[in-house]
Amino acid sequence: MASDSANLPGGKITFLLFLALVNFSFTIGIHNDNFSEELYVKPFSSGHVMFHFQFTTVWNVSIDKPESFQHYHLFPKSLGDVLTTYKVKELHLSQTQGLWKHEKWGYPPEDAPPGDELWVWFQPHSGVDQTWADLVNALSGLFCASLNFMDSKSTVQPRWSFRPAGLASEFYSADSRFVRYSTLPREVVCTENLTPWKKLLPCGSKIGLASLLNSVKIYDGFYHSLGVHVRSVCQDTQCLTPATELKQTLTVVYDPTTNKNGKQDWSFQSMFDRTLQSQCPLADTRKIYVDVTTQETFPKFSLSPVPDFVLNQKRSGEERKIAVYQIGNHLFASSLNLKAMYEEKLTFSNSSLPPVYANRFVTGYGLERGGVTCMIYNTMSSNTTVIFMETVPWFLRVYFSSLRIENDGKEIKPYKINFIPAKDRANPYQMELVFRLFANSVTKITYSFERAFLKWTEYPPDANHGFYVSSAVVSTVLPVASQYTATSQSVSLLEESFSDSSSSFFLRLHTETLLVSLPTPDFSMPYNVICLACTVVAIAFGSLHNLTTRDFTASDPSKRKGLVAKLKSFFKKEKESPENKLDSKEEETPSQKDKDNSKSEEKDSKEKDGNSET
Amino acid sequence: MAAPMVNFYFQLIAFAFLHQCTGTSPEEFFKSGHTNNWAVLVDTSRFWFNYRHVANVLSIYRSCKRLGIPDSRIILMVADDMACNPRNPRPATVFNNANNQINVYGDDVEVDYRGYEVTVENFIRVLTGRLPPSTPRSKRLLSDEHSNVLVYMTGHGGDGFLKFQDAEEISNVELADAFEQMWQKRRYHEVFFMIDTCQAESMFQKFYSPNILAVASSKVGEDSLSHHVDPSIGVYVIDRYTYYALEFLETVTPGSKKTMGQFLEVCPKYQCISTVAKRTDLFRRDVNKVLLTDFFGSVRNVELLPDSIHLQNATLHTHSEDSSDVKSDKPLSYAQQFPMPV
Repeated sequence: MASDSANLPGGKITFLLFLALVNFSFTIGIHNDNFSEELYVKPFSSGHVMFHFQFTTVWNVSIDKPESFQHYHLFPKSLGDVLTTYKVKELHLSQTQGLWKHEKWGYPPEDAPPGDELWVWFQPHSGVDQTWADLVNALSGLFCASLNFMDSKSTVQPRWSFRPAGLASEFYSADSRFVRYSTLPREVVCTENLTPWKKLLPCGSKIGLASLLNSVKIYDGFYHSLGVHVRSVCQDTQCLTPATELKQTLTVVYDPTTNKNGKQDWSFQSMFDRTLQSQCPLADTRKIYVDVTTQETFPKFSLSPVPDFVLNQKRSGEERKIAVYQIGNHLFASSLNLKAMYEEKLTFSNSSLPPVYANRFVTGYGLERGGVTCMIYNTMSSNTTVIFMETVPWFLRVYFSSLRIENDGKEIKPYKINFIPAKDRANPYQMELVFRLFANSVTKITYSFERAFLKWTEYPPDANHGFYVSSAVVSTVLPVASQYTATSQSVSLLEESFSDSSSSFFLRLHTETLLVSLPTPDFSMPYNVICLACTVVAIAFGSLHNLTTRDFTASDPSKRKGLVAKLKSFFKKEKESPENKLDSKEEETPSQKDKDNSKSEEKDSKEKDGNSET
Repeated sequence: MAAPMVNFYFQLIAFAFLHQCTGTSPEEFFKSGHTNNWAVLVDTSRFWFNYRHVANVLSIYRSCKRLGIPDSRIILMVADDMACNPRNPRPATVFNNANNQINVYGDDVEVDYRGYEVTVENFIRVLTGRLPPSTPRSKRLLSDEHSNVLVYMTGHGGDGFLKFQDAEEISNVELADAFEQMWQKRRYHEVFFMIDTCQAESMFQKFYSPNILAVASSKVGEDSLSHHVDPSIGVYVIDRYTYYALEFLETVTPGSKKTMGQFLEVCPKYQCISTVAKRTDLFRRDVNKVLLTDFFGSVRNVELLPDSIHLQNATLHTHSEDSSDVKSDKPLSYAQQFPMPV
């Protein structure tokens, strides 16, 4: 073989070309999945900048047929095995640290509550509770998070709030038997969660957009959220066969104005401490989008390098300008360090408020009772229907009779209520309310609760920190896409959502989590009690015992010896003791005589007593 | 014509290289008796002022990974999060030194048991293998009778006990019984037990199972001391024994010939202030002849077969046309996400 090719000078090259062609057609023929990596950058008027990474894998097999999940190519096998083993139809996991400020930043592409949130739709089968318990254990190992704490005490079955996000029949999505929702508001997100998330990507974290993900800079940000979303989508426009879509998202918000000159300048180098040096060859779409709507007006900024083109995104009621970069065009010379340079320092201005946003907080004082108030603001000039969902742990005993929905003092009757009271140590309180938000108004939802006593083994090791209540979920439909950046339901990629002609936009937002103190015992109490009890026993009992059992004899004060006499008698005793030893035997007989005398005396006294009794 | 000669020279170089690697004959290569390495690294302390315990366990984790033990063979239990703690001025980092020399947290860390999951019950279940059936593989110690297991524990301890998260404790008797269970279930070949707490020697005094080599940072009646404070963080960043152990381990490479005997001499009294105690009576081999990488590194035994093996083509029949079976007669639709009238 080697000798043959050595003879023909061009033979080697043609052979290699032939091999490459065969491989190319081979891969296209067998593999039926595609991968895209996109980055969406959006600066806010508050000075913050959002970087939203989206890695989308669409595999043309149906998740309803687990036996078709073979021959993994771009779809990660570790996740695919978990999905097929536990009969999952849709999975949505988010791991977030920080609170998304809707008033300042509008709506994120994927809204997530602080901590971990997991909601799953299962294939119809019996024993969903057991499958859910096994699934959260498997996912806890996969994502290095304590998802195994999502047991029945914190899991609910939402009836209206978390309908499937992908393809599903109407009959199936109305059946809440197959959905499970749970959150862990206390969960920490750190590099140990980013590492397994990055390992699910086809190109890993060494090349492509994922190479920008520097954990030291990401976890220094204002807000960061990891997301894994699996759902069924249409394979093509006819939509006769489903495909499985895996969307991995990472949203991170920085505040670049804390640098030396106070300007909102940002770049890959300053935000991630890295520049983009490669692109993932397995990806079909590799693009970066920057929201440049305010570029010419206020605040003015310029992008470097110059974008490939700028397109106008028109969504009902909202027009935005998006600068698009094709990553491949910018990697020829050197690495891509996308930079935005602002002309002036940041000046705070009143940004326009989003159509709907909410705030929630605990009211009351003391450790016996309390209340929760949620204010939902509607800044639109039209009414809208909203679904409000809350999950309250069992130890905050909610008084359903105290639930009030008020708007400007007037009470609003909800259109529908789904309230499932809690069972101690088994289920949490689940509340879903459907009511109307009036235009340009604030609606206040209040209810009061009573705090329960936990058993002493149920307290966590840091009991004085308090207990967390998961965030409430507000779902509504907006007629205008004001500050709305989420992808539409029927498409997978961000760029496909830029030209969206729909007239209604589904919105889901999460409120703050609550931190509530329960009456906590003093865990150093047993030690203190033992010390106190032993002291009391030693001092009090000892002296009482002596007092009650000591025999008191009267002493003659004249015979009382002074100190000098006592000392003399002490020394006398010592002198007498050696003499006494010799005479001890002799002395015994007199003492025996004494004893006999005393016995006879006793007999006499007994006789006397006997006489007296009779 | 040149090809056979090239092949011969290549084989010769490869053979010589192999010998260079092992240094000895293939028979001696397999003398240690173990075929795989596991590590169970436990930090039992919670709260920010116990930063040093997390730094301790991450130092050993870093050394194990660097010397070859993969994440799938390491069970890392960290009771609290220091790297992304709001009090950490340098997020996503845990340093072993106030001069920020080594970020022991790193960029590629996988914590298996975190936060409230680090309990005495979970620790003993991991060691003995009595875990509920739904436990994922990354949380299981799947060792067998040819595994060398490194167990490292750090936290607050006393004479005969080790505190877990300020709420419960494990006694030395329980620990000794757990190792005996492991021995009877053939879950280890040799164990190297390292402990860095106050009065650490008491934790291995009650061991009675064979093939355990133990080292502790202090004797009974002595306290293990921390190394130094980082003024920008405000807490002690690492304990003395683990600091000097890490210093020693940083000089070790995967092919190193350093022995366990040398490792047991790390941190003499003038450095550690407490006396490092060790227990070698249960260990069958001479510690001066045991390689450090027998416990900290990972064995990659390669057996060279001279003849080739023909495998049968047993791949499943690919259902490339199966997607057509899934075609439904009417188009599928997306679920309505807002089921109420707008």
